[in-house]
Amino acid sequence: MSYKVLEENNIATVYLDGEIDMDVTDKAKEAIIPLIEAGKEVHVNLKDVQYMDSSGISVLIESHQKGQEMNTRVVLKEISKSVLKVIMMAKLEQILIIE
Amino acid sequence: MINFSEHKDFEVNSGNLKNVRTFARGLFEKSEYLQNYQEELVLALAEAAQNIVKHAYNGKASNDTMRIKISYTEGLLKIELFDKGKPVVPENIKPRNLDDIKAGGLGTFFIGQIMDEVIFKTSKVDWVNHLILKKQF
Repeated sequence: MSYKVLEENNIATVYLDGEIDMDVTDKAKEAIIPLIEAGKEVHVNLKDVQYMDSSGISVLIESHQKGQEMNTRVVLKEISKSVLKVIMMAKLEQILIIE
Repeated sequence: MINFSEHKDFEVNSGNLKNVRTFARGLFEKSEYLQNYQEELVLALAEAAQNIVKHAYNGKASNDTMRIKISYTEGLLKIELFDKGKPVVPENIKPRNLDDIKAGGLGTFFIGQIMDEVIFKTSKVDWVNHLILKKQF
């Protein structure tokens, strides 16, 4: 997995790619959580994520909860088909912010 | 219908989960039926392999190996995982309550959603834990 971050005004967009499993969750969190803690609205772009397991889902849940704690939005954008399937299997599509 | 049975050993560490998935994808591509469910099946297997790293070995890399065996015979897919880690207590394995928004137990929940049958065995010879996942096509 690799990532890049683009910031514009108070919105930071984190582009994740590749496969997100237990081996890379710390890296994914390191990319996202500090931006939320800085009070930014964070968009997580998942169009290039080909695989995500429960560890990846845990990153999305933690990010969402951290956003609620910091009173900012964490929005999932352009979710790939395979990741959306996993989000729906976890029945999280009504809980996470998806645009 | 194509039948096959193959196994491969992997050192127990989170970096090898990707190799487990690659091994499984290569086999699932052999059958048209399995190919249609490839990503779900890979997810179920990978979650089970992740549980070995996370729970049987407390998330620590080990020189021990885990064995993944995948068999497909007459429409029955059987995925077996063997490890020498901490013995699994089946009563302690609980899928996540979906009303409780946290990640713990989600992998077990996914396995249950994808596969028809999940069997835990304690192996007395060579291995400690033996997990069997089955799905009929």
